[in-house]
Order: sequence, then C-alpha cells, then structure tokens
Amino acid sequence: MGLFFLRRLGVMILTALCLTFIVFFLTNLYPNLEKLAKTQGNMRMTDAEVTQWLDNRGYLQPMPVKYAQWLGVAPGWTREFQQDGQTVVTGRCLDGAVPAAEAAEAPRFCGILQGDWGYSTVFRDSVASIIGTRLGLTGYLMFWVMLLMVPSALLLGVLAGMREGSRTDRTLSTFAITTTATPEYVSGVILIAVFASSAVGLRWFKGTATAAMENPNFENFFLPVLTIALYGMGYIARMTRASMAEVMTAQYIRTARLKGVSFPNIVMKHALRNALIAPFTVIMLQFPWLLNGVVIVETLFNYKGFGWTLVQAAGNNDIELLLAVSVVSVIVVLVTQLISDIGYVYLNPRISVT
Amino acid sequence: MTHPTINGKPVHPAARMYAREFREGKLSRREFLARATSLGVTAAGAYALGGLAQPARATEGARDGGTLRVQMEVRALKDPRTADWSQIANIYRGWLDYLVEYQADGSFKPMLLESWEINEDATEYRLQVRQGVTWNNGDAFTAEDVAHNIRRWCERDVEANSMAARVASLIDDETGLAREGAIEVTGDHELILRPSVPDITLIAGFADYPAAVVHPSYNGENPVDVPIGTGPYLPESHEVGIRSVLVRNPDHSWWGTEVYGGPHLDRIEYIDFGTDPASWLAAAESEEVDMLYESVGEFIEILDAIGWTKSEAVTANTIVIRPNQVAEVEGMRPYEDARVRRALAMAVDNSVCLELGYSGLGTVAENHHVCPIHPEYADIGPAPYDPEGAMALMEEAGMADYEHELVSIDDDWRKNTTDAVAAQLRDAGMNVRRTVLPGSTFWNDWTKFPFSSTNWNMRPLGVQVLALAYRSGEAWNECGYANPEFDSKLAEALSIADADQRREVMAEIEQLLRDDGVIIQPYWRSIYRHYTDQVVGADMHPTFEIHAYKLGLAA
Repeated sequence: MGLFFLRRLGVMILTALCLTFIVFFLTNLYPNLEKLAKTQGNMRMTDAEVTQWLDNRGYLQPMPVKYAQWLGVAPGWTREFQQDGQTVVTGRCLDGAVPAAEAAEAPRFCGILQGDWGYSTVFRDSVASIIGTRLGLTGYLMFWVMLLMVPSALLLGVLAGMREGSRTDRTLSTFAITTTATPEYVSGVILIAVFASSAVGLRWFKGTATAAMENPNFENFFLPVLTIALYGMGYIARMTRASMAEVMTAQYIRTARLKGVSFPNIVMKHALRNALIAPFTVIMLQFPWLLNGVVIVETLFNYKGFGWTLVQAAGNNDIELLLAVSVVSVIVVLVTQLISDIGYVYLNPRISVT
Repeated sequence: MTHPTINGKPVHPAARMYAREFREGKLSRREFLARATSLGVTAAGAYALGGLAQPARATEGARDGGTLRVQMEVRALKDPRTADWSQIANIYRGWLDYLVEYQADGSFKPMLLESWEINEDATEYRLQVRQGVTWNNGDAFTAEDVAHNIRRWCERDVEANSMAARVASLIDDETGLAREGAIEVTGDHELILRPSVPDITLIAGFADYPAAVVHPSYNGENPVDVPIGTGPYLPESHEVGIRSVLVRNPDHSWWGTEVYGGPHLDRIEYIDFGTDPASWLAAAESEEVDMLYESVGEFIEILDAIGWTKSEAVTANTIVIRPNQVAEVEGMRPYEDARVRRALAMAVDNSVCLELGYSGLGTVAENHHVCPIHPEYADIGPAPYDPEGAMALMEEAGMADYEHELVSIDDDWRKNTTDAVAAQLRDAGMNVRRTVLPGSTFWNDWTKFPFSSTNWNMRPLGVQVLALAYRSGEAWNECGYANPEFDSKLAEALSIADADQRREVMAEIEQLLRDDGVIIQPYWRSIYRHYTDQVVGADMHPTFEIHAYKLGLAA
C-alpha cells in the first residue's frame, strides 16, 4: 500500500512538472511576453522599451533558468539600479526596489519549493491568496453540485436499470440522455431565460451568482449548481443504469428471486453494491470534468471562482497564476484518481492496489 | 441675488456676448453653459444671463445613509494622471477631488478651485483656491498643493501621463517639465497660470478624469494603498475584477457638505459583472445591483420594461473605425496612401452604421470627430457616400485585391457597428476579413492594429479630442496621423478663445481630416444608464463620471 502511494505521488509530481513546463513554455513565448509588458506597462511602448521592461523584470533570461527560478531550485534574478545617487536592487525575491544591504539579507531562492507561488500581474495580488480564495469558492460550488448530482443520478440509474425496457426505464433514460447531451452553455442560458428573467416571467431564481460568493442561498445559488449537475447527472445515470441492468440479469439475482426474496430487497441488498462499482469510477472522474464545467458556468453566472480565475489569467497571460492553476488541476485530477482506485478495493474485494 | 461670477468680479465680456447669441438662437443651451461657466460665470449666473430656469437639484430627497450597489468594471488602479479608464477614476473619485467638475448640462462647476478668471486672450489664468478645505490626514489644502499637482501633470516623460497633453501649454519643450514661470503661487489660496500660447482648454482639462488632485506625499503607488485625499469617502477594499467598496470617512469633515450638500450614502459598492451586457441585465433582474454603469443597445428597452428609471446623456461620445497609416502588414503599409483611406470612408454610409450598430440611438457624424454640441463645430456637410467611386479609387491606388483585416472588440455596439462597416465595404467590392477580440486582449494593442474600431469618450471642446488623438506623435494617436498642416492649424485653433472665430479654422481642420481619410466616424452616441426608482443623483454623465457625493437613496 505504501509503495502504491509513493508511486502515485511520483506520477503526480512528474505530471505536474511536465504540464507546468508546457504552460511555462507557452506563456513565455516572446509575443506573449510582449503582450504582458504592454498591459502592465504602457500600451504604446516601443519595441526597445518593451525589451527594456522585460529585461528589468527578468523575463529575458533563458527559459530553463526562469523555470528553475519559478521552481525554486535556482537563485532568483537580481538587477542593480542607480536611484537618487545610491544603488538599489530589484529582484525576484525582493519586494520592489530595496537598498543593496537589505537585498543581501533577503532569501536567494524563492519558488514553489520555498512556498512562494509568485505574484499575479492581472489581479495585483499574491497568487497563493488568489488561488486559496477562488478554489474555496469553487470547492463550495462543487460540493453542492455533488450533493445534488450523485444521489439523483444514482436514483435515476437504479430506477431505470432495475427493470430494463420498462416504461420507467424509457422515460428516465430519455431524460438522462437529454440532460447529458445539452452542454452547460446551452442549459445555463435556457435556465436563466426561463427561471430568472422577465422574458418568461417566472423569476424564481437569480440569474447571477455574484452575491452567492458571500451569502449563498437557494435563490442565488441553485441555478449554477443545477446547470453543472444536470450535465453530469445524465452521464452517471446512464452508467448506473447499464451496470444495474447487467447485474439484474446475473445468476445470483435469479437465484434470490426463485428463493422468494422480495423485489425491493433484491435491489437494495443484492444488486446495488455490485452495480455501483462502475458508477463510482465515473463519479470520481467527474471531479476533473467539474473543473472543466465550472469555467463556463462561473463565467456565465459571474461566480468568481477557480474557473473564472483561469479565464482571466489566460486572457491576460498572467504567467504565475496560470502555472498555479495548472498545478492545482494536476493535483485534483490525480488525487481523485487515487481515491477512486482505493475505493475500488473496498467495493470489490477481488481487486487489490498492490 | 448672489453674484453671477464665481469670484465676484465683473462678468467676462465674452460671456455677455454668448448670452446674447444664445438668446438669438445662435448657440445651443449646452454650448452657452459650457462657454459661460468656463469663463468664470457661476452656473446660477449663467442660467440667469441666458434667461433660463434654474434646474432643481437632482439630489434633493436623498436620505442620509444606506448602501448603493453599482455594476461597473473594477480595474486595477494606477497613478491618477496615467489613468486610462473612466471606471478607474470613478473609484478614486471617492477620496480624491477635482479642481473643476464637468456637469451633465455642459457647465463647469468649481470644486477645489473657488473661482477662476481668464484674461481676454487666454494667456493668463488667475485661480482662487477654495478656503477651508483639508486633506483627510489633517493637512490644510493650499495653492501650493494645486501648483504641485499641475507640475505633476506637466511631467511629460512619465510613462502614460495623459495629463501632459492637456496642459501642454504649460510645459517647457526642452525639459518636459513645467515651464519656468508658467505656474506662480501668489498667495495661500491664489495662483496664476501663464500658458505659452493662448490656451482655452485648461479649465476643461482640469475637469477630465485623470486630473484628480493628489496629496504632495503621493508618489505614484497604487492609490488604494495611500488614500490621502480631500474627498468624503475612503476605499474599504479593492479587488480587481470582483468589486471595490467605498465607505464614508467618519473622521473627516468634507468641505463640499456646506457648499453642495452630500455625501448621502454610507457605502458604495462597485461590483464587476464582466463585459457582457446580458450579465448586467441578469444582475439588474436579480436585484443584485441598484444601478448600472451604462446600459447599451437592445438592453435599453428591456431595462425600461422591467421598470428601471432611464437617464440619458447627449454626448460627443463616438466610435471611430480607423486605418493606421504607419502600421505594417507583411512588409508594406497598406494605409499609407490617402486614396485607400478615402475609399474606405466613401464606401460606408454612416446612417446605416447608426441604425445597425446602435439601434439609431444617436446622431449621424461626418468623419471629422467634431460634434454639433461642441461650441466650435463647423458644418461642412455630410460625409460623401459613393461606393462605386470608392472602389474606383481603390483600384486607382492598386489596392483593389488587398484583403483588409478589420479588428474590433467583442461587445455589443462596437462589434455590430464594425460588422456594419465590414458589410458595406464588402458590398462596395472590397475584401474584408473581420477579427473580433475579447476585451482583455483587444486593449493591449488598440493603437497598433492596422484597421480597427475604437470608442472615444467626449471632451467638452472639439479641439481637445483632436489634440489628443490626431496631433503628430501623441500617445493616443491611433491613426498614425502626422500632418504638419493639421498640427499648425490645430495650434492656431487652440489659441482662439472665441468659438465663432475658431470655427473658421475648424472648418479647414475638419475638411483636412476628411480629405486625408483619417477616420470613418459613423455616429455620435447618446448614452444611457438605468437605476431603480430608489436611487437619486445617479443621472447619466456625458463622460461616465459618477460623483459619489451626489448619489443617494430616496427617503
């Protein structure tokens, strides 16, 4: 078991390294840097000024060196300037321009390994605090999505799958296929138009979730939750139905039936546990999918979480924020996979992690 | 009756002349008010001179206290003199005051200046600083503070300092700083400005949004971190892209309470709902906000329908679709030839753009960026529209097969208007490819695109925007226009205080802009804002200013 964890951790670190290097490489291409310089400095800078601006901020070092600095395995860059007759130093590990003596005492390494996630150029704040706040908001959204999506999907799937081909099955399956075939940007817009706008006039809910960041309630939070949940719900329900239908044809179910066990008892006690193995993986796979879905839904509903941050960071070439977003994504994907693998062991004794 | 001028001095002779012209119908109400008040007549005095009824104060009936939530983009703040968005200024306007404030009716209201006096040929300004004003750190506000700010605005070499263009006549060309003797402090509350050439735009420049008055200790850092100002509010929090909160400063008694009334609200929240007007509507319908920054396009009707109050401001705000004359595409400069640019302009019927791009909510413009509401507007007739002639001209210039890439931002009216231009160019037989960029990337390069659309906010005088946007080498000269003849004519116009005399030069300038095919400028926008019936003092302002002290909730 311990070895298994270590191996998984190794894979996680390796994946994170590869992914961040790709993101690092792309965001540090010269046209992207030029764009960054112009947003941060001045839209009308000449090419020489852009080069100067980038050089003064350490952006023009060789790519591997910059990446190593971001990781914290190479000392951060420093630059010396003359200001008001004395030498001041700016650098990766320094906060603004400081006198040389003070700069000498500052830590030489400041990267991820030292716990320094960098500074977001678009939000003008430290990356760690942005990721912390925004991930918390998205976590809250996801929690409610899961709470709505998983039970209702399982219920739908089990009800549909226990009597394959029945009227209940056909009705529920149609519903499940419809919801999962409708992408969030379609269902979200429809839900807003129907339930939150004067176009239809129901106005049961609010069409924006901005207030939900501080004060979430049923009225302002239900629509974004429903939009994400509907999409995943149909998918999980289909999986559960297929799995349930298969289990219901198994020999041991027929045996139980012949012995006179009541139908509800068969479903609950004999079929369910075996039928849930496949949906369990799918549910765990939904976490990364949710990260994907929140990008659209958070932008649509103006809920400023992780997905919205990703959009802003990518739109403004905010290098260090984008890198942090990729690291977090890798961790979320691999940790949920880990949980899914371990959960398997408990659901199916025939499988072992070692 | 109180005295008709802001300093108790006799009324400037030109003001009386304007009043006469106004009564004879030669001047519009707005033009008259703008001109008379910039010559030192009080707003009340100007209304009396022109024989107009005094408007009721908009903020009457506001109760004390309350929280107002406003939908507005929340951008990163910067040194006020380098601010490039009205939204940025609306936030620091909570704790920073201005020398002068431009009013929705076109007049100038004295704020930190109590009054000003301009000599006949506009080469000497005598400014009286308001007495009894204190900074919120306790320091007294004096003429020295005003001089300090004007000197800051004169620092031309500071990156992105757009105030330098507004006070160009006070700058020494060699040092790029305030000229020796241009600013003279003559008392605790009096100073004299001596522009190098007759300059009529200084007062209007002082009212523009980057002209917020900062404390002498301010050193260019993020204004939120050091909120020392003379205004009645303080920033509580400022999160870019999310929201910004102003709260009433309990330890500071604001000078304006006695003079103009207010502030009324305890708390003002600016909440960012992105750039999609559909989400602004969603915010309004969800009762998440009480007031919008601006309502646009088809949403104006919808907002009317949900029972919000509409406020309209007639403006010289506009959209300009311009080729950049120095931009290079694949090694050549496609728009260097005036024939190409003229052909583009001739192929476009401006009224079609107004109809398709802005639902007809404005007036048709004439491709020279001077608006009928500007005092010095000269009518040189509508812009020529001749699609066949345009294509012939394009062929003559050898550019008939060139594929034009027309860039615009991804929004409602700007995108639609640019689409309308593209469609008309295609109808005339030109090849056009449309590129639509999101706001986050569009503004990175807005002056550099070879052919793109840009929205321009208005300035009170017609010469001001020409000086900002079309003079050679200006920071915001997005057309790459450099014509010595234009520059010298504009310099001449900028020295004529009398708008009627200035109009003759303006006619030549306007014609020059049109002959050089500098811009396609289809229409002037009326702008709108909606708010709930609970909000008072939130009237739409022609330059999108939100004056925090006027806002309130109905009693």
